[in-house]
Amino acid sequence: MIDFSQLDRVIHEKSRLSIMTLLASRSPWSFQELKSELSMSDGNLITHLRTLTKEGYVRELKTVANDSGRPMTQYEITGAGSSAFRAYVKVLEAIVQQSRPK
Amino acid sequence: MAASDLPHDTALEHLRIIRTLMERASIYRAVSATAALCGGVIGLAVAAWGIMRPPSPQVFLAAWIGVLCVSGVANLFLLMRESQEKGQPFITDGLRMALRAVVPPLLTGGVLGVSLIAFRQQMELAALVWILCYGLALQGTVSFAPRSIIHLARAFLIAGQVLTVLWLWKGWPGMVSPPVALASLYMGLTFGLFHIIYGVAVFLSQPRELVASSSPR
Repeated sequence: MIDFSQLDRVIHEKSRLSIMTLLASRSPWSFQELKSELSMSDGNLITHLRTLTKEGYVRELKTVANDSGRPMTQYEITGAGSSAFRAYVKVLEAIVQQSRPK
Repeated sequence: MAASDLPHDTALEHLRIIRTLMERASIYRAVSATAALCGGVIGLAVAAWGIMRPPSPQVFLAAWIGVLCVSGVANLFLLMRESQEKGQPFITDGLRMALRAVVPPLLTGGVLGVSLIAFRQQMELAALVWILCYGLALQGTVSFAPRSIIHLARAFLIAGQVLTVLWLWKGWPGMVSPPVALASLYMGLTFGLFHIIYGVAVFLSQPRELVASSSPR
């Protein structure tokens, strides 16, 4: 029997799941890259990034843009974020596996 | 939403999102910047020699096959070393995707170019075919390649198309003869110069990280 309480509610929201997936694939991503890949508004994206940062799943990096030399914000997944993401995917797979016709 | 209400379809939908985004996010660099730089320098040297002391078509072909072999082996070696340093396997999904994208146009260009030189002594046309097919091979990787490769692909395709039109129109540039010297010029401008610019640009664009601030849980 699957323990549904194991599902991380922070990651379970679709937008945050998308952000976590991108950051788990490769890091770091700039704010603009995330925005263009996910087609989200500035406000929406920043809200979800704040939630994930507060939870300790994502960290902010202050970098300098190569071309202009201006400060730039990038985001990367933390160790805790990676573990939480892997656990979340595992539960999803278990749900699908269990409901598959035998 | 209560986690216990999670239906099978939602789980499937979330897995689909994860898979799609992960595929889109995966980046694979099929051309090592260092190998491109080395290949570019060798290519430029061979092209300069071909312009100043135009060789026979057979020697021209052998010289460029040599450049291809040296650059190709260097590229494989450097990609392998990079994988080892990162503790990753050399044969990855990224490499498979890259091979699927680049092998057909490269083979086509190779067969066409070699045949044009061997059977028709058409060095300029062979060079143009190589430039265009190499551009198409790189273009095939754009969905998972870094931006620098995309720029390189565009540079090869645009240069190949412009040079083809100019060559068919006016045999440009008329002052460069015999044909093998003109073919060397085409090769030097693209395979030599573009790879050097690409290698330098990649090295210059390494991110400079200033501060890393984290929010511990």
